[in-house]
Amino acid sequence: MQAIEVSHLIKKFGSLTALNDINFSVDEGETFGFLGPNGAGKTTTIRILTGISRPTSGTATIFGHDIEHDTIAARQSMGIVSENSNVYDDLTAWQNMIFSAELYHVGRNEREKKTTELLKIFGLYERCNDKVHGFSKGMKRRLTLAMGLVNSPRLLFLDEPTSGLDVQSNLIIRDVVTDLVREGVTVFLTTHNIEEANIMCDRVAIINKGNIAAIDAPESLKKTIQSVQSIEVSFDRSSADQLDELRRLPMVNDAQKAGDKFKLYTEDPSEVIDAVMAYAHTHNLKVMSITTLGPSLEDVFIRLTGLQRKGGAVHAID
Amino acid sequence: MPSINHESWSKRLSRELSAAWAIARKDMRIYYLKPNIIVSGILFPLFMFLAFAIGKNAPPGTLIPGLISITLLFSASSIEPVSIPIERRVKTFDRLLSAPISLYSLVSGESLSGFLYSLGIACLPLAIGIVVFSTPIVNAPVLVVAMILTAFCFATLGTLFAAYPTENVGEVMSMLNTVRLPLIFISGVFIPISTMPEIGQEIALISPLTYGNDMIEYAYTGRSLFSPLLDIVVQVVFILVFQITANYLYKKFNE
Ligand SMILES: Nc1ncnc2c1ncn2[C@@H]1O[C@H](COP(=O)(O)OP(=O)(O)OP(=O)(O)O)[C@@H](O)[C@H]1O
Ligand SMILES: [Mg+2]
Repeated sequence: MQAIEVSHLIKKFGSLTALNDINFSVDEGETFGFLGPNGAGKTTTIRILTGISRPTSGTATIFGHDIEHDTIAARQSMGIVSENSNVYDDLTAWQNMIFSAELYHVGRNEREKKTTELLKIFGLYERCNDKVHGFSKGMKRRLTLAMGLVNSPRLLFLDEPTSGLDVQSNLIIRDVVTDLVREGVTVFLTTHNIEEANIMCDRVAIINKGNIAAIDAPESLKKTIQSVQSIEVSFDRSSADQLDELRRLPMVNDAQKAGDKFKLYTEDPSEVIDAVMAYAHTHNLKVMSITTLGPSLEDVFIRLTGLQRKGGAVHAID
Repeated sequence: MPSINHESWSKRLSRELSAAWAIARKDMRIYYLKPNIIVSGILFPLFMFLAFAIGKNAPPGTLIPGLISITLLFSASSIEPVSIPIERRVKTFDRLLSAPISLYSLVSGESLSGFLYSLGIACLPLAIGIVVFSTPIVNAPVLVVAMILTAFCFATLGTLFAAYPTENVGEVMSMLNTVRLPLIFISGVFIPISTMPEIGQEIALISPLTYGNDMIEYAYTGRSLFSPLLDIVVQVVFILVFQITANYLYKKFNE
């Protein structure tokens, strides 16, 4: 059975079309990512799939239960982690967890056991009797996640689980999700972090302005734009004009500066390597490193969403 | 027909009730001591009452029924109009909206906290009447039923107004006050309905407080406009109408 099945979903807010006829399905046990820029419609999709918001038209089912007409059954198997850390500041971490468990009708013994277990996993057990009021952002985020897991969901919705967090909180969250996936939990996550989608997801849907531009495994998505490859090069000295000069080299479609390195996009890496070496020679520069790179998920994303690179001489197609 | 997918009604009911109770308890923990709830739920009716009582020559003990009525009105309808906009703002309301419970349980759970708060607060004037003024109670069971119905009626009214989709407490409160302040004057709390002009008497009939106050009067004095049974029926109808409307509005405003 499909964990999620979405068919011809449209959501309008007045004249704004937030979701424009989207279709996708998520298999049980799969980790499915929604990757898109701000305002793409990621949260709107989650709100419809969790029954908080109603679609203008189209249907969505969760494990076969229609979310609009069989809402309660559909919700029983889900855990929801919203993009805001929506915890009760005036309750303790423990009370927050217990309240969540009560809403999902988790039995008394089970909810205390699960609460203890989850608070320990998320490194909050020592603070379990403190009001959440004084918690840091990362602690609140971790508590939100723990609250979403207290009913042992089969399907977990994560709306930007790690955005704005430090490395430690990030790692805890990713580890927990990895463990859940191993136990067979289906995960639907949204992110604008391309690397996160790349490591965590079996399949990624790229969404922009309410339209799904592509759905595929990260590696397959990269293959679709094999023509976009790049060379990463660094020199012993840098000067202000280097970026522009490199961009003007033959066969270079675009150039970007990243730290002390330049990334040159091309369809013909070997040609560009020659050109870079010649350029270094005429300017009396020493090449410190040079590497060819395949397309990254970021490249796919930029290509498919029609976004532009900063200072981009080359525009992504459409 | 029972099947694996459809849980039994009793199980479903117990699940809904315990979720409603959890929501009510959460409100009690968080909101009962919030300053704006104390002001609008306790201090406000007290000062309103004093303002009226001072102008009257009646012995203070006879004012107890009226004090109980307005305390119930204000305290019951003060929790949800504060808690729900706040929860919308901090997005915890989404938790309630996305929980596997019916909207009815959500609305009743919210109302339940206002109801219990109100009953607790109304025990104060009740106790003052008994201890300080030795105000006699003619019919205690009627008083208990009256207090329960009045508290639940106005708690539901508070939840109904809080359906208005705003994150601003003040907006809900000012809408609510344009309704509940006039109720004091048209429900026979300070001005007996029998002494009002005819038009006033007709308006009084549409106020839910008229019936609760009438029952409370009956419990204290044995005199009333309507029979307690009629008061009960009318209040139950008001509660149902408020609950159904609240349910409809929460659904409608839930884009
Ligand atoms: N309640 C609402 N009323 C009106 N417009 C809305 C509402 N909710 C969302 N929108 C609009 O719908 C579009 C999609 O919003 P959504 O929150 O789904 O984006 P998102 O992909 O989650 O973005 P972000 O990465 O910033 O969280 C936006 O243009 C937003 O302004
Ligand atoms: Mg979002």
